[in-house]
Amino acid sequence: MNDRWQYLLVLAACLAITAPLEMFGSGVYRHPRRLLKAVLPVAVVFLIWDEVAVAGRVWTYNTGYVSGLSIPFRVPIEEVVFFVVIPVCALLTYNAVSTILDRFHRR
Amino acid sequence: MTGLGYTVPAVLAVVAVCALELALLRTGLFRRPAYWLSMLIVLGFQIPVDGWLTKRSSASFSYDDHQTIGLRFPFDIPIEDFLFGFALVTAVLLLWERQRLRR
Repeated sequence: MNDRWQYLLVLAACLAITAPLEMFGSGVYRHPRRLLKAVLPVAVVFLIWDEVAVAGRVWTYNTGYVSGLSIPFRVPIEEVVFFVVIPVCALLTYNAVSTILDRFHRR
Repeated sequence: MTGLGYTVPAVLAVVAVCALELALLRTGLFRRPAYWLSMLIVLGFQIPVDGWLTKRSSASFSYDDHQTIGLRFPFDIPIEDFLFGFALVTAVLLLWERQRLRR
């Protein structure tokens, strides 16, 4: 397996592992507008941080271990995916945990 | 940029997110056990995922050691990553909760 895909594969695995959590309560993916309004503003702020950090060489991406696709200016496409996937995973987790705890409280 | 270029913004991000909740949104997220339990689970997954992506032998991204306090634990994860993750996830959960309460 080509190492350049490892970052995207890790993110894909995160999505796959959390997907079944959608069945809890009223889910997360089932509220696309609410999901977008929670994820998008935060993703924009963190991508700006990312851009500044790359420009200031606070961190760098290693060409051997990212796909090579990027957005302006020098942020890899993986980062855009990251700022969507990780928040979605967190929301699925939070929704599932909330649903389970609520069930216990109602008893 | 001189020193702590990751540490300082990471701390500020955590402060900003907490201020957002306490001064503006007031969703009550921090009082919900479901939030803290979820953060614990997220942390449990961050360690292997982040650990894999930052391992010095084949990292997808690497950090300028002058821009962090230099503490990398566990594995090769700079501890600033945990502040970064906390701020990112908490901010999204706050915006999600705010919309629930508005209904």
